[in-house]
Amino acid sequence: MTDGTINLIIDGVPVSVAPGTLVIEAAKQAGVLVPHYCYHPGLPVAGVCRMCLVEIEKAPKLQIACATTVTEGMVVKTQSAPAKDARQSVLEFLLINHPLDCPICDQAGECELQDFVFQEGRAGTRYGEYAKRFNPVEDFGPDVLYVPNRCILCTRCVRFMDDVAQEPVLNVSERGDRAYIGIHPDARLDHPWAGNVVDLCPVGSLLSKDFLHKARAWELDKTASICTGCSQGCSVTLDTRDEVVVRVRPRSNLDVNRYFICDHGRANYRWMNRGDRIEAPLVRRDGELHATDWAEAFAKVLGILRGASGKAVALVSPGASSEALDLARRLLSAFEWTGAFQVVMGEEAPLPGVPNLALRAERAPNAKGAEQLGYTRGYDAAVKAAESAAVVLVLDDPDCPVQTAGALIYAGTVLPPETACRAAQVVLPIANVAEEDGTFVNRDGRVQKYFQAKPAPGMARPAAWVLGELAAALGVAEARQ
Amino acid sequence: MGFPHKPHLKETVVLSQHFGDADARTLKGWTKRGGYEALAQALKMTPVEVVEVVKESGLRGRGGAGFPTGLKWSFMPKEKKKPHYLCVNADESEPGTFKDREIMRWTPHALLEGTAIAAHAIQAEVAYIYIRGEFTEPWTIMEKALAEANAAGVFGKIKIVLHRGAGAYICGEETALMNSIEGKRGNPRIKPPFPAAAGLFGMPTTINNVETLAAVPHILKRGAAWYKGLSLSSPKSMGTKLFSVCGHVQRPGNYEVTMGFPLKDLIYDMCGGVPAGRTLKACIPGGSSVPILNREETERTLLDYEGCVAAGSMLGSGGVIVFDDSADMVYQIMRLARFYAHESCAQCTQCREGTAWTTKIMERILSGQGKMQDLDLLLDLSENMTGKTICVLSDSCAAPVVSGIKKFKNEFEDYIAGRRKPVMVA
Amino acid sequence: MSASHAAEQTEEYRPVFAGKVLEELQTILSRYPTKQAALLPALWVVQRERGWISDRNMTEVAEALGITPAYVKGVVTFYTMYHQHPVGRHFVQVCTTSPCNICGAEGVVKAFLEQTGAKDAGATSPDGKWTIIEVECLGACGFATPVLINDDFVENVTPEKVADLVKKYR
Repeated sequence: MTDGTINLIIDGVPVSVAPGTLVIEAAKQAGVLVPHYCYHPGLPVAGVCRMCLVEIEKAPKLQIACATTVTEGMVVKTQSAPAKDARQSVLEFLLINHPLDCPICDQAGECELQDFVFQEGRAGTRYGEYAKRFNPVEDFGPDVLYVPNRCILCTRCVRFMDDVAQEPVLNVSERGDRAYIGIHPDARLDHPWAGNVVDLCPVGSLLSKDFLHKARAWELDKTASICTGCSQGCSVTLDTRDEVVVRVRPRSNLDVNRYFICDHGRANYRWMNRGDRIEAPLVRRDGELHATDWAEAFAKVLGILRGASGKAVALVSPGASSEALDLARRLLSAFEWTGAFQVVMGEEAPLPGVPNLALRAERAPNAKGAEQLGYTRGYDAAVKAAESAAVVLVLDDPDCPVQTAGALIYAGTVLPPETACRAAQVVLPIANVAEEDGTFVNRDGRVQKYFQAKPAPGMARPAAWVLGELAAALGVAEARQ
Repeated sequence: MGFPHKPHLKETVVLSQHFGDADARTLKGWTKRGGYEALAQALKMTPVEVVEVVKESGLRGRGGAGFPTGLKWSFMPKEKKKPHYLCVNADESEPGTFKDREIMRWTPHALLEGTAIAAHAIQAEVAYIYIRGEFTEPWTIMEKALAEANAAGVFGKIKIVLHRGAGAYICGEETALMNSIEGKRGNPRIKPPFPAAAGLFGMPTTINNVETLAAVPHILKRGAAWYKGLSLSSPKSMGTKLFSVCGHVQRPGNYEVTMGFPLKDLIYDMCGGVPAGRTLKACIPGGSSVPILNREETERTLLDYEGCVAAGSMLGSGGVIVFDDSADMVYQIMRLARFYAHESCAQCTQCREGTAWTTKIMERILSGQGKMQDLDLLLDLSENMTGKTICVLSDSCAAPVVSGIKKFKNEFEDYIAGRRKPVMVA
Repeated sequence: MSASHAAEQTEEYRPVFAGKVLEELQTILSRYPTKQAALLPALWVVQRERGWISDRNMTEVAEALGITPAYVKGVVTFYTMYHQHPVGRHFVQVCTTSPCNICGAEGVVKAFLEQTGAKDAGATSPDGKWTIIEVECLGACGFATPVLINDDFVENVTPEKVADLVKKYR
């Protein structure tokens, strides 16, 4: 075509795509999902599962949609009898050795084999009394279990480790129906991004030990969120069951993390379920903190803020939302204000196969957002300055070694026994990242929204609401400049 | 010649002229017999000129696919921008086929000469000869011949390297062969890309069979017209072919005949027919991956590409397996299915699972526990295994199963109905 | 952890590629544009030197060629001629695919098992001298039944000839 696009028809629907597009991708434009296993947009094409066989007019044999590039005027049929028969036969072949493990398999409910067999598989088996191939379960490493019996040899895991993680630690061993995914005895699957093979596995063959037997897929509520593990800001899905976060999985984001998250982020959710939360506002009366309601807590804070002048210091967590950080600054706009944060650092671990993707050294999601709002990394200096400040606001930083002659206001999720923040005049219970909507700014300046996955405990509220109410009362809650 | 027997009158001896002649293996002996003249001649021609001669001759690949060789060579880029490679397929593992081993152990220099000419024609600096690991004797002989020829500087700039396989039939598939040379598992590749565009190490590559290349020096020396003239029937099949006859014949061996030669004469005349007191029951004309012919079909088949298709099978590699009436067709088809199940590389679902399932059903029939539905099941599985995979190993498993059930149904039914005693334990 | 792996952990590992064998590897490497392509030839060298290829050997080959041990293992397990365990002093491969099968190949296997004392195909004889296995087509169908004894390709073997063959190699 003169305009550089290729026009073709898929299941009767005309589509226009760029030259070089694979039929399986072009089909998405037509609203057609071509069933497949080994194909994955984040991995090099293998073409081995043979599930995506489609009928293409003028081609003598069925072609695999994942390895066929579109041509002008191509007519593709995914629902014709030959294509459906071929797919049904692939499913039948996969099921002859695949055990009937659904009742005890973690993948049930989110299993692509179940899905396609239900959609277009045979109603009954013809394999009858023959024995299925059997291999024992293997422990591949830190978080991954391999159940060879369930493996359909799509090789997604091998290709991920070879081409994306670029640490070829998995192989296909043996030949024929004796084949299985192997690992050398000296090797472990401990690459910082290895956990992705569990997500990539279309069936319940590669399993996360962390998630093993924890919940059924259909019991899970899924919420879009942003990983708080580092400053990369990968898109994730928080899976909750009965309002407890039980799993973190990557959400596809072609601009940031494509289809993957690192193992650090994957394991970084237990703290979201901590039971030792502050569940009510606390105010100091007669030298001790007493639980109270929001009205009294707010009144106390407003009294402090209206009655003080001079210097104010805000010591904040780089994991607080941009909304909360902004409001915290406004709240102290009447003062000579210093805001600072500190970030826990760790080792960077890139995923070589994806540009600009790594577990970042800065282990916090919103350091950039804090910087953009005027907070600095001069944490130690700020802590020193707090000693003589009139007002100190600590936002979700329970380890802050704060000591002040002025008034300490603490807004946080937890109040551990030994924390210096127990000296606060007012303690405001806030929600954590799983319990609120909010915004983080990643290291590249990308503004990303996360959403509430579960309710906050007790009377805890999102920090943005708490600080927003206070700011409104002070008349400083106008739209940002 | 029907080596190890003396040449038969009806043979057309070209490639097999020096089979059995140990002196022909040496460089001196080979050159004495006119060897390396064709190479010298070819090196004076341009690559395009050499390709044209081979194209004109009508030579087709002798490994099993029968693709016109000159045409295959012409797919290589004319303008050389990257390294070009030639791969010689000496992986000979197709059951019933044993001709390439004879070429290598009796006329190693013929193969080397054909390799060098082909390398020149496709502008390849390096040629890898992939010899299956089990061919220990051909390997040793080829090594010695290569060393002699290199010492004499016969090949000019062309480098020939011997590469040893390690036990995988699937490495005879051209893309799997390339993967094996590259140090990988012998998995066939999806095409496109085709080898002439991106093959060995990602570079333009041509893969040719041993017998194909052994014919090249003769074509250059005696001319394309001579080779074209060696044809008994179809204008599309020229030259001679080494037919490896084995199984139930009195004189098994390699027989070289002109294309179009009657299969009947090959079996009865040259090989002395089936053992005394027996009758011919079945024949697979082109290695185990082609359909089985019954007696009537066998006796009217002409041995060329078109003739075998007309009879309901294929010329394939020319491995003629003869079964007399003592053969248990059901058992042998099971054994072939088991062969394919062992050799499947495991990439494609249909092949990996289907070859094993087919074998299991066959074993059950042979153990007296088969049912009539099993035959329909086998036919259905075979259809699902045909035309849907990366390579044709899956199709090859289906071929004997489908043709066997069609033509020898009574033998299957005998086992199922219990008229024949089980020969296996389930 | 395999028994062989455990055994190697107790003694210090003796590299295969040292001295002349290392020179041989360098020659092999010069024949290919990539190091990885030397894998199959390198594995043959290891098997020639040690009789089989252990997990530790695979690690050594991997290091020499700049690839991972897992990768090497994937290749070793694909090809049937590489031994992953020690085998008998005489490794016997008998073809039993159809063309040889109809010429009595299974009888040859049985004769070998009887003459050597190896109980089943795939097993090693009690004296450790013989391992007999059935293999697929050896490409000598007209010379049924072909038998590979280590690197010696013996043709036209019949059950009657097996006794003498076994004696010859004993």
